[in-house]
Amino acid sequence: MSTDNIIDSTDLTDTQAQLLDLADRFYEQFNEGDVPRLEIPTRTKSNIEYDEDKNVWVYGDRTSTRSAKSVGGAQKLLKSVYTIEFLARQLEEERSSTLRELYYLSESWDLDEAQFGSQDESNQLVEDLEIVTDATREDFHMRPEESGATVMGPLEIREQTRRGEREIHCQEDVGEGGYQIPNNPDTIEFLDNDADFALCVETGGMRDRLVENGFDDEYNCIVVHLKGQPARATRRLTKRLHDELGLPVTVFTDGDPWSYRIYGSVAYGSIKSAHLSEYLATPEAEFVGIRPQDIVEYDLPTDPLSDSDINALESELDDPRYQTEFWTEQIELQLDIEKKSEQQSLASRGLDFVTDTYLPERLSEMDIV
Amino acid sequence: MTSQQSRLGGGESVAEELAESQRAISIAEFFEKNRHMLGFDSGARGLVTAVKEGVDNSLDACEEAGILPDIYVEIQENRDYYKVTIEDNGPGITKEQLPKIFGKLLYGSRFHTREQSRGQQGIGISAAVLYSQLTSGKPAKVTSRTQGGEQAKYFELIVDTDRNEPEISREETRSWERPHGTRIELEMEANMRARQQLHDYIQHTAVVNPHARIELREPDGRFKYERATDQLPAETEEIRPHPHGVELGTLIKMAESTDSYSISGFLQEEFTRVGTKTADAVIDNFRDRHLGREMAWEPPRTHEAGVESAVEEAVANKSAEATADFADRVATALDRERVAHHEVVEAVDSVAEEIQVEYSTTFGSTVRGNAVDAAWMRLTDERESDLYVLVDAATTRRKNDAVVQALATRLAAKFEPGDRHRVTRTTLRKYVDRAADMTEQHDDATVGETARENILTELWTAARQVPDDPPKVSAVADDRDTASELLEAMREADIISPPTGCLAPITSDLVDAGLQKEYEADFFAATTRDASVHGGDPFIVETGIAYGGDIASKGKAAVLRFANRVPLVYQRGACATTDVIKNINWRNYGLDQPGGTGIPGGPVVLMVHVASTNVPFTSESKDAVANVPEIEKEIELAFRESARELKSYLNRRRSMQQRQQKQDKLGTILPEMAQKLSVVTDREDLDIDATMARIMNDVLVVREREHGTVCLRVENNDDRNVEPEVTEIVETDTEPELLDDTEATVVEMDGEWFLKWNPTVGSGETATLRYTADDEADCTAHVNDIPEEKLTNGART
Repeated sequence: MSTDNIIDSTDLTDTQAQLLDLADRFYEQFNEGDVPRLEIPTRTKSNIEYDEDKNVWVYGDRTSTRSAKSVGGAQKLLKSVYTIEFLARQLEEERSSTLRELYYLSESWDLDEAQFGSQDESNQLVEDLEIVTDATREDFHMRPEESGATVMGPLEIREQTRRGEREIHCQEDVGEGGYQIPNNPDTIEFLDNDADFALCVETGGMRDRLVENGFDDEYNCIVVHLKGQPARATRRLTKRLHDELGLPVTVFTDGDPWSYRIYGSVAYGSIKSAHLSEYLATPEAEFVGIRPQDIVEYDLPTDPLSDSDINALESELDDPRYQTEFWTEQIELQLDIEKKSEQQSLASRGLDFVTDTYLPERLSEMDIV
Repeated sequence: MTSQQSRLGGGESVAEELAESQRAISIAEFFEKNRHMLGFDSGARGLVTAVKEGVDNSLDACEEAGILPDIYVEIQENRDYYKVTIEDNGPGITKEQLPKIFGKLLYGSRFHTREQSRGQQGIGISAAVLYSQLTSGKPAKVTSRTQGGEQAKYFELIVDTDRNEPEISREETRSWERPHGTRIELEMEANMRARQQLHDYIQHTAVVNPHARIELREPDGRFKYERATDQLPAETEEIRPHPHGVELGTLIKMAESTDSYSISGFLQEEFTRVGTKTADAVIDNFRDRHLGREMAWEPPRTHEAGVESAVEEAVANKSAEATADFADRVATALDRERVAHHEVVEAVDSVAEEIQVEYSTTFGSTVRGNAVDAAWMRLTDERESDLYVLVDAATTRRKNDAVVQALATRLAAKFEPGDRHRVTRTTLRKYVDRAADMTEQHDDATVGETARENILTELWTAARQVPDDPPKVSAVADDRDTASELLEAMREADIISPPTGCLAPITSDLVDAGLQKEYEADFFAATTRDASVHGGDPFIVETGIAYGGDIASKGKAAVLRFANRVPLVYQRGACATTDVIKNINWRNYGLDQPGGTGIPGGPVVLMVHVASTNVPFTSESKDAVANVPEIEKEIELAFRESARELKSYLNRRRSMQQRQQKQDKLGTILPEMAQKLSVVTDREDLDIDATMARIMNDVLVVREREHGTVCLRVENNDDRNVEPEVTEIVETDTEPELLDDTEATVVEMDGEWFLKWNPTVGSGETATLRYTADDEADCTAHVNDIPEEKLTNGART
């Protein structure tokens, strides 16, 4: 995907042309008596490599081929063609649909062989098409199921909505819940901001605490709610906050291996969407906590590590993405103390402890405030 | 108490008392009490056995007379009894023979012959008559008309069980519509609980006798099995026993009853496959065993200690001239590498004869005897060095000199100077063992089993066979040990397998035809092995496999067992054929077999036929083949042979099925995809045949031509190498020129050029065959050695 035309990636003819191009390729293969096939990068852990220049994880050189030579391959290609037809029509009619709708829609297709067996299959196919056509799923007008997360902070934006343009201030024009990130955050234009940094928060409880305590106001901070593993839209917005507004991005999660992976997907990108890393990942994002070190220093209430926690930590030690001094030290410490803590365990020191003490201390350590 | 006393009182009187109640029992009486031995243990089974005996007899009779059998079997329910009728179109039976055949047990023509036939003992049908009379009290009713006979004879008869003779209650002449044949009616207490076995028996008989037409009518139905061939089984010949198969008892009996006087004559007369040469080989072996061999020694080479001087000294009262000449000639005659005692005797005798004539003096037996003794004494004076050479040769390098010397010395001590030194191999082995043991004990050396055997062989080979006549046949008949020696000698000799003219295998073609006639299956395989021998009787094993089609796919395979063309329906578990089937791992051949042993499952019929002059059964009722290793081995080999064909069929079928499935699937998917593509791209409809061909047909041949160059591309989409033969026929006046160093033969014929390539094309590769030809020239490519369904020849024109 070309980063320079992100804004006008809504240009329908472009994406449509890309899809038709792919259909044309299949057509030609048939026409020449050749076996229709599609070559795409192998989407496994072993074919992910670090792009030194861009600081993100991208697919390597290995490719796999979907070929009509096998029944399975032919079936995949048939589904692809059906999906291409569907997407092209959707773009032409300027409509959109969700991934789940696509899955159910396939039930109406003539041939049993063209129908998706599971939603994973249809999701994967859309990802395949993203890779091959060099477009994003937003370009296809495909939405994910999960509603986007929310933003709260001193930021004024203009959003292109179906009912026209809206100008919204993410503190003054929104309720307690904050501003809801749309599925395609590229429809947002940043107008003005008064922010010093962005703080991405894993859990809803902690986000609410920060808002209630007026943390966003006090520290000129844009609080982004990640809602667990962040959706693409959340990650895209975070990246834009960093790239376009020059705001430092920090990530505040629980103190367990799964939360470190949430940070990883914000900072480095995920394997499933490595083709979009450049577009979604914010390599400069920094980890606030909860660090294992914090568990010790603040003597936080803990749970013991489960076996799967330990396995996850050990596999992170082997994961090239966590091969930094910081992570090695922290993970080894956690394996040593055999404990984990949630964000909200900070409440054991009082409800204001996180906003009055913990975050200011950590953020100043990190030279953010 | 009383009996004790009486016994004590006088043993003799008790014995006499007992003797009064001891009397011979007739065979008929015996079987009356032991009917189970003949397969009449229950009413259900009795019926099947009666049918079986009748049908077997009918088939044998027809075949012997060269008539294609038409057999009719009827079972009627008759109040408490069943009436069994078996009718055939055989040659009929003469008036004199008929009562005996049906009314006398152990009357038959086959017991003493070595020839394959269904019946052997002459018990079967008369036992059925006996069973019928015992259970219903009714006589057997037999009608028979011989070929050319004016009318048929009709008898009603039973077996007189006391005398084992037929007892005829009615005898008359009747008219019968059949030109020839026999019909027997038996009434018996029975039931139809064994209906399945009865049907099996009839059906299996039809399978294995494709030349017979058989009809069965029973209360519940009617079954007709038509003839599949007009070819009668090959006529069998009677044969004599084979030397490799007789047992000691049989051999002694044969020796007792033979007219031959010499062993050689006995062997050639009484056994099959024995001519002069084989007889001589057996006799040589026999001599070695019975008489032993004579050790031979190297004659002394020095003149003073030589044979000549010894002989000269031993001859007394003869002229000096004759004596010297005699001694000289004997010495010359014995100047050989090694000399045995009988050779000395021979030499002395022949020289003495010459001298007698030349010098007109008598060289009588005393003189000759003295000469022999003297010469032999001289020869055997020194034995150690001879033995040293032999032992040394047998123990190459591994033993040091001292050990070899010690062995030679000890062995030498076993042979007294002057004795004839006649030893059997067994005795010789004892000598070697003793010498070896002593050497091990005293000289701290090891002489292992192999070394001993080598030394023995070396010595035995150096020893001379003796010229004495072997014992006469009477000696063999009189003495078990001698007979046993002869038996070993026979077994050791190389003798070709017995002739198979005495056997009538169904032959694999007809096994196939028989199975095809009765089973609607997709696949048939049949194997007929070469003849083998067990116990002097040749036998042939045949197997057949039918698979798929209408054969029930649930449960275990049906096993059809036959012996001499007779179906075996009972005692399946006790049969060697079943054991062999269970021990074969059928999973290797693509059949289901939980655990890898047992009867395989699935839609399969396994057939096995053992044909022999003497099928070893486990009992008189002839239901199960005994576990004879030779037969089991042949059964296994035969089944494996048939099963290999089955396996390749199943593999082929499986891959064809997969191919077909794939073709069907792609045949739905790809046209739909192509149609969608035309819609999406808004272009004209696609022709996807070429793509389909490329996917489905693993080898694609296409021709491309440009500027006088023709290029044949052989694209291999298969997952293994192909080696097609590609012949391109070019109609042109100028000789095509091969390009790219491709190897091809170029031949011109009637204005056409034949270019033939044999490229090896690897999986996924494309071979390019290029040559020059006018762009206008007509070209036709033919591709061989690729299965048609795997080839798309786009270069046919």
